[in-house]
Amino acid sequence: MSTVAIAPAPERPMPVPTRDSQPYWDGLREGKLMLQHCASCGKVRHYPRPVCPHCLSMESEFKAAPLTGKLHTWTVCHHPFNFFFKAEAPYIVALVDMDAGVRINAPLRGITEDALKIGLPLWLQFEPVSKEVTLPLFVAG
Amino acid sequence: MAHALRDKAAISGIGETAYTRGTAKSGLALQLEASLKAIEDAGLSPRDIDGVVPYFPGGGIAEDFIANLGLPDLTLSLFVPMGGATCVAAIQSAAMAVATGVCKNVLISVGRTGYSGARVSTRLQQFPQFALAAEFEAPIGMFAPAQLYAQGARRHMELYGTTPRHMAEVAVTTRRHAILNGNVVMNKPLTVEEHHASRMISDPFRLFDCSLESDGGAAIIVSAADRARDLRKPLVTVMGVAEGHPESPASIAQRPDLLDFGLVKAAQRGYAMAGVGPKDIDVAEVYDCFTFTVIRQLEILGFCKEGEGGPFVMEGRIGLGGALPINTHGGLLSQGHVVGLNHVIELTRQLRREAGKAQVEDAEVGLVTGYGDMGDGSLAILRRAA
Repeated sequence: MSTVAIAPAPERPMPVPTRDSQPYWDGLREGKLMLQHCASCGKVRHYPRPVCPHCLSMESEFKAAPLTGKLHTWTVCHHPFNFFFKAEAPYIVALVDMDAGVRINAPLRGITEDALKIGLPLWLQFEPVSKEVTLPLFVAG
Repeated sequence: MAHALRDKAAISGIGETAYTRGTAKSGLALQLEASLKAIEDAGLSPRDIDGVVPYFPGGGIAEDFIANLGLPDLTLSLFVPMGGATCVAAIQSAAMAVATGVCKNVLISVGRTGYSGARVSTRLQQFPQFALAAEFEAPIGMFAPAQLYAQGARRHMELYGTTPRHMAEVAVTTRRHAILNGNVVMNKPLTVEEHHASRMISDPFRLFDCSLESDGGAAIIVSAADRARDLRKPLVTVMGVAEGHPESPASIAQRPDLLDFGLVKAAQRGYAMAGVGPKDIDVAEVYDCFTFTVIRQLEILGFCKEGEGGPFVMEGRIGLGGALPINTHGGLLSQGHVVGLNHVIELTRQLRREAGKAQVEDAEVGLVTGYGDMGDGSLAILRRAA
């Protein structure tokens, strides 16, 4: 076992899509919030997974969801646990109850900490960070 | 009818290394050093150990214990991958093993180079339990527990009015207890003002709301209670023990109620098995990865009502001499981070009346919790046998 401190990589940690989650990531790249719905009972689920926990169907489809939601809670990240985020800190990460019925966690820009409160209406936007990967972010109305 | 496992297992041996920030030893060496001490404390020899539950991932595996300690005939090797809920949940697995006769003496152990080796955000990359966080949250700047758990703490503050002052009280009280212990990383007094002035890590968590990244090892032996009676130390039995897994166990973000920890289920089962309630608890060692995590668990454990954990910790209630002394060893916040096995060790000491300056007078029944990964929970209720 190593006793040498391993410095975190300075590159942004990138998602490694799985066969189950690929349509979600493809959707973000195309400027859409694609959410997985059960093809049998119709319930939405996030994060993507093979089986519907409500009816156990393994058939599903991804549908574009509205980009609106309300603030559920938040944190303000000051300490950069990954060095990549050192330049961005402090940054707000909002956990949002999407009107589509799932939650999305993403950075919230263009608003100060003291304006945050549960229920605040927010909009999802898209931030391309590489040719393949686009990440979600939130802005206030 | 009494639960089939009630009082069938005992914590027969405890061992820990020095808790430090900085060591030349490997995590495995720390784990084995603590294991040898626990075996010695029980009055056993390594050849008596026939079950191992090492903390995983990270540290030794069954092969290491056989190769280093010369275990002649291991009959059980288990992992309980529940992060900080592992050590207390492992007592349930060990109790099942000794009550059924599969094992006589099970060794539960942790060795960690959390300061001198890989730090928290790097170490967690190897946890399958963090796979969803790695895919969906690390890219947007959330991965460390301080960040992932902060959103739940913020929600509690907004809903119930919990304040940084309440969180500071947990940090300051725990530090006061640590100073009495001696084998601790943080041995200087901490004031509320110093807590409030410490740097922000992930709001609302400041530095002194966060547990330590430290080096150390800890181990316990779980033996069949009828056999443990003949061992060296006063008998401490497992009255109740349970693990609990929350809804949406790998993603806090998707959990309908962020404050619904696995402990909600574990506490119900653990109390029922033990046949006791919160009023019967003399001392509690509550998993303290963050100050807020203690506040919320005190609510779940029924020591106060939902949302009243903040006010509950005030006015000396959780300090030695108070109505419910907690973390009498200094916890993960001030003693050291060995994933809460130090909490089990301290509770055993309290019930043996070996806790020195931190001894809770006439401690008969105590409780210890674990909290880990994205909110897994575990609970053990131990008692000093008559």
